[in-house]
Amino acid sequence: MAGRQSEPPRSQRSFPSADLPRPALPLPEDGPAGGAAVRWTRPGSLAANLTLFGRRLRARGLLVGPAETGLALTALETVELTGREGVRLALRTVLCSRAEDLPAFDEEFERFWQAPAFGPVMPGQDDEGAETDLAGEAPESSRAELTVTDWAEEGSPSEDERSVPAYSPAEVRASKDFSAFSADDLEEITELIMRIARRIAMRLSRRMRAARRGERVDLRRTIRRSLQYGGDPAALVWRRRKIRKVRIVLLCDVSGSMDVYSRFLVQFVYALQGVVGRVESFFFSTSLTRVTDALAHRDIRQALAEASRHVPDWSGGTKIGASLRSFNEQYGSLVDGRTIVVIASDGWDTGDLDVLVAAMRVLRERAGKVIWLNPLLGSPGYEPVTQGMAAALPFVDVFASAHNLASLRVLERHLRRPRGAHGRGSVRRALIRALASRGGLA
Amino acid sequence: MAQAVRYPEGFGGIPQIVEILARQGYIADRELATSVHLSVVLHKPLLIEGAAGVGKTEVAKVMAQAIGTDLIRLQCYEGLDVHTALYEWNYQRQMLRIKLEEATARPVEEKESLIFSEPFLLKRPLLQAITAERAPVLLIDEVDRADEEFEAFLLEVLSDFQVSIPEIGTIRARQVPYVVLTSNRTRELSDALRRRCLYLWMDYPNFDKELRIVHERVPGIDERLARQICGFMQLVRHAPLDKVPGVAETLDWSAALMALHRDHLDPQAITETLGCICKDQEDLVRVKSQFLRPILDAVESAEASGDGWTPERTASLAAQLPQR
Repeated sequence: MAGRQSEPPRSQRSFPSADLPRPALPLPEDGPAGGAAVRWTRPGSLAANLTLFGRRLRARGLLVGPAETGLALTALETVELTGREGVRLALRTVLCSRAEDLPAFDEEFERFWQAPAFGPVMPGQDDEGAETDLAGEAPESSRAELTVTDWAEEGSPSEDERSVPAYSPAEVRASKDFSAFSADDLEEITELIMRIARRIAMRLSRRMRAARRGERVDLRRTIRRSLQYGGDPAALVWRRRKIRKVRIVLLCDVSGSMDVYSRFLVQFVYALQGVVGRVESFFFSTSLTRVTDALAHRDIRQALAEASRHVPDWSGGTKIGASLRSFNEQYGSLVDGRTIVVIASDGWDTGDLDVLVAAMRVLRERAGKVIWLNPLLGSPGYEPVTQGMAAALPFVDVFASAHNLASLRVLERHLRRPRGAHGRGSVRRALIRALASRGGLA
Repeated sequence: MAQAVRYPEGFGGIPQIVEILARQGYIADRELATSVHLSVVLHKPLLIEGAAGVGKTEVAKVMAQAIGTDLIRLQCYEGLDVHTALYEWNYQRQMLRIKLEEATARPVEEKESLIFSEPFLLKRPLLQAITAERAPVLLIDEVDRADEEFEAFLLEVLSDFQVSIPEIGTIRARQVPYVVLTSNRTRELSDALRRRCLYLWMDYPNFDKELRIVHERVPGIDERLARQICGFMQLVRHAPLDKVPGVAETLDWSAALMALHRDHLDPQAITETLGCICKDQEDLVRVKSQFLRPILDAVESAEASGDGWTPERTASLAAQLPQR
């Protein structure tokens, strides 16, 4: 049994061509090692087809490279190819690496291995899915881009302009609502936000360095040191628990009413990137879009322009519940006990309230902390009476505004760590509940 | 590019795996068998994801049986560190030895190398797997619960199968273990780890498969009751629950109903035993108040029609359940 790789007769290993309309597998006559090069170069061979197939999967976001394609080829040789299903299962286990890959794989498998005729696949055809998507978004994105450039790229920051936003009249600015600024001020405000964020970032990292001394005895080092004193553990060596950085998931409402606020918030959180472990960002209005990669640019203005290009419905209506639900479904694994989920929305939900409640419940259970930022909270006399807001509140740890610079500064405190074991979060929740019931909310 | 294909001794491939699965009540699960087969033959770690309670851990057992080797299990949890996973020194023994050595005139260096030698080493699962005489199956269970730091460490071990212990030196694997990783998807695993592994997604079993499992594991159960239980489970998994019941819950429930000498499901029997499948107070209340009757009615109508439980039928029955 040991040397089985050469045992099965060749005929058994070739493809039943009825199942796979591709050109039959031209297995080399000599051993597998010698034949590998031949298979890789011959057009229309299984190897060539697998390479093309791998490329298509890669275009769909699967983690498939040459190594995986090579492995797939080897895998097919070891499976007794009793038809299409066997091939599909073998390729699937080798080429997929997460549950989200499976539907894409099945789709591509159907398309690729069942196509009636085989022509050379051009790079253009290869990416046809991606192209259609881009085309579909085009009119939207140009519109969105305009809105961003309006305020962000008008007059790019030259060096001497940096000194302009003096911090002295800042208290006036700090309490001014973002939406009340004129377009001319926006550049300045951006600069201020970055400054506040930088200062906070510095403070946070200092605090981490000055952490308490260790809490557990490092036995290994203690024993080793004890050798010097004849085996008595005279001095204990302590081990310090590593400080874990929190992760932040940012869900920003970019529907018409929230547009301006969301932009500032994104800038603020991104400037804090250095001190938090990881920031994942999503924009939503009627649907959800992940913009983490788009926001990975160094320059925040470019980044926002880039992000808005990827969002199909920038400044459209809002379906908070559906958006949060699809976040939970697709990206739920990003959220764990160390994650702080920040939702920025005014709570004007035009969707189904039950969906919102269910989605919030899931978030609240998984996340370390849920923060809801509502810029309207900053307006005098506001009460969270919109149905969406009232429905979501019971699941929120921190309910705050993010409508001006001062409130962003306060936000820092909430972003530091997930709710502690002392249940500070639950106190807040109780307060919020009390507030909500006093306000006569459903 | 071509990888080495290695059939371990006594390994019969897919047919044998199917047979072992069959013995455990999994009839001809080709997907699972194919993944196990490829993982063994290509000697690649197998990453299994799926909801809790679908039997991911079982796969490692099947693999160990198919190869005829030992199973070594490393259960991951938050805060799992190298000392628990790889090795630790036996401090008590070291202390004792130091005391015994007090009388001798050995130089300190010699004493040190003595107490940091292999007899004082406690082998944890990873080191056990690496130093085993015959390649074992190494099950790294619920890897998503471990920290990212540990995942990075794991990646290192899985690529080289060698570990270095500062006091002793580098230990290289005599036989590369067969590795199975499971994840409940509470955290996204790194792409690097995913790329290193073959992938298997396990879903809840369909009606027929679950029925076979019930008959296999709860021998002597009434056929009508077993069918009703499985139908109920198929549908209750579509209800919006916080903790969706897995196969283990099905089996617990079957056993409980058997013990109560029930031969069919009725509202009272379900209410009495619902704790077997709903392990969460809110779920329990929700099922009792909203889903118990509709699901029971659906199960009865499906059983009466005699059409069986095709995926389409299950889906259409599930679509008629109350949404909230």
